[in-house]
Amino acid sequence: MDNKALIEIDYIKQIVEVLLFASDVPLPTNRMLSVLEDIKAEKLKHAIEELNEEYANTERTFRICKIGGGYQLVTKPEYSRYIKKLYKGRARSRLSPAALEVLSIIAFKQPISRPEVDQIRGVNSDGVIKTLLERNLITIAGRSEAVGRALLYGTTPEFLRYFGLNELTELPKPRELEELLGSAQEELKFPADEAEPELIEKLTQTEQDEVETTEDDEAE
Amino acid sequence: MSYRVKLQNFEGPLDLLLFLIRKNEVDIYDIPISEITRQYLEYVEIIKILDLEMAGDFIIMAATLIRIKVQMLLPRPELDEDEEEIIDPRMELVTRILEYKRFKEVAHKLHDLEDDQLKVYPRVYLQFDEDDVNEEMTYSEDVNLFSLIQAFKQALDNIPKETYHEIKDIEINTEEQIDYIMNTLNARKQFSFYDLISRQRERIVMIVTFIALLELIKRGQVVVKQATPFGEIWITKR
Repeated sequence: MDNKALIEIDYIKQIVEVLLFASDVPLPTNRMLSVLEDIKAEKLKHAIEELNEEYANTERTFRICKIGGGYQLVTKPEYSRYIKKLYKGRARSRLSPAALEVLSIIAFKQPISRPEVDQIRGVNSDGVIKTLLERNLITIAGRSEAVGRALLYGTTPEFLRYFGLNELTELPKPRELEELLGSAQEELKFPADEAEPELIEKLTQTEQDEVETTEDDEAE
Repeated sequence: MSYRVKLQNFEGPLDLLLFLIRKNEVDIYDIPISEITRQYLEYVEIIKILDLEMAGDFIIMAATLIRIKVQMLLPRPELDEDEEEIIDPRMELVTRILEYKRFKEVAHKLHDLEDDQLKVYPRVYLQFDEDDVNEEMTYSEDVNLFSLIQAFKQALDNIPKETYHEIKDIEINTEEQIDYIMNTLNARKQFSFYDLISRQRERIVMIVTFIALLELIKRGQVVVKQATPFGEIWITKR
């Protein structure tokens, strides 16, 4: 690499760093490119990689992450306990298992109506869908053509950010039904070492357990 | 200590069925429908005691199970008239259970992603919780005049608005306000619409000022410009 190129990459790195530092939302590549002027997207990507390398080599506490179609500075997970202390009383609440179920169905079948979600889950999902709408993880994506013109739901950009995904294609894929049918037998058997969870035990977990699950990171 | 029973551990009838199939280590293609139905109904009895609201969804599935059980009891020919294989009455249920299982697996993966993500903080502006600050009640020593004034202003702002209504005669006419706008424009080359209106105290004066401005535009004495839609409107002399 000649001298000029060396200077250029350092320049890009500095600009990228300062832009990310000043931004409180993920910055899309094209927005950074519009600031940088006459710089190719490839070089920008290279600069970001180099910055991340530098951060790693010098044991910085943050790195650049690609989330929801843009780049953002994020802290490393190992420091979460300190940040949590700083923002104590402001614990980020987790999604319930029901909410995660509904989200995974909506993510893969979007746009999808509530009755269709109910059908897959075998339970009414009304309350859960309301919560997800409030948390801005899903949104109304239109109306069904079928009788009743039910509302259709889809995921939001916030959904990607919440799970640290860059785009929907990065979602963990559900296995194909055929594949599941093939392996269903072994899958459904209990591993030998797994104790048989008794129903009553499962049904009667106390409040304390619930508190524990929301704050379980504290125990680390 | 009171125990609040949590049913959420079973997300629904399909979840319970999945659990029973695993627990009994039975062949998913050959579910002993009679035995599974019996166990299922036992659990539904518990659920009915614990959470009536949720029991409804479980009872619907119980009905489905019993229907399948009845279909299984009826004698079935090996092949139907068109020599096609008879579909096992359980097949539809098995497909549903597996379809549900697919998404349950994804939900588990999402849970892991959520876990990772909750440990990562983006560089954003996070406001501290008010309660949090009150809890510690640190008294800052460097109170200066400025912060006193700010507090005083805050107090003034929070005084409840007086609710009685006084009827005042406000003498105002368009010509007066036209003069006012032109005089202001003579002093300053341009000013914003917001500036012009927000200076007026009374609603009626605001309205008359607005009419005066419209009149001036009509007469072609002033020009209004705007850089962006919904942006600031600037008034200048022609």
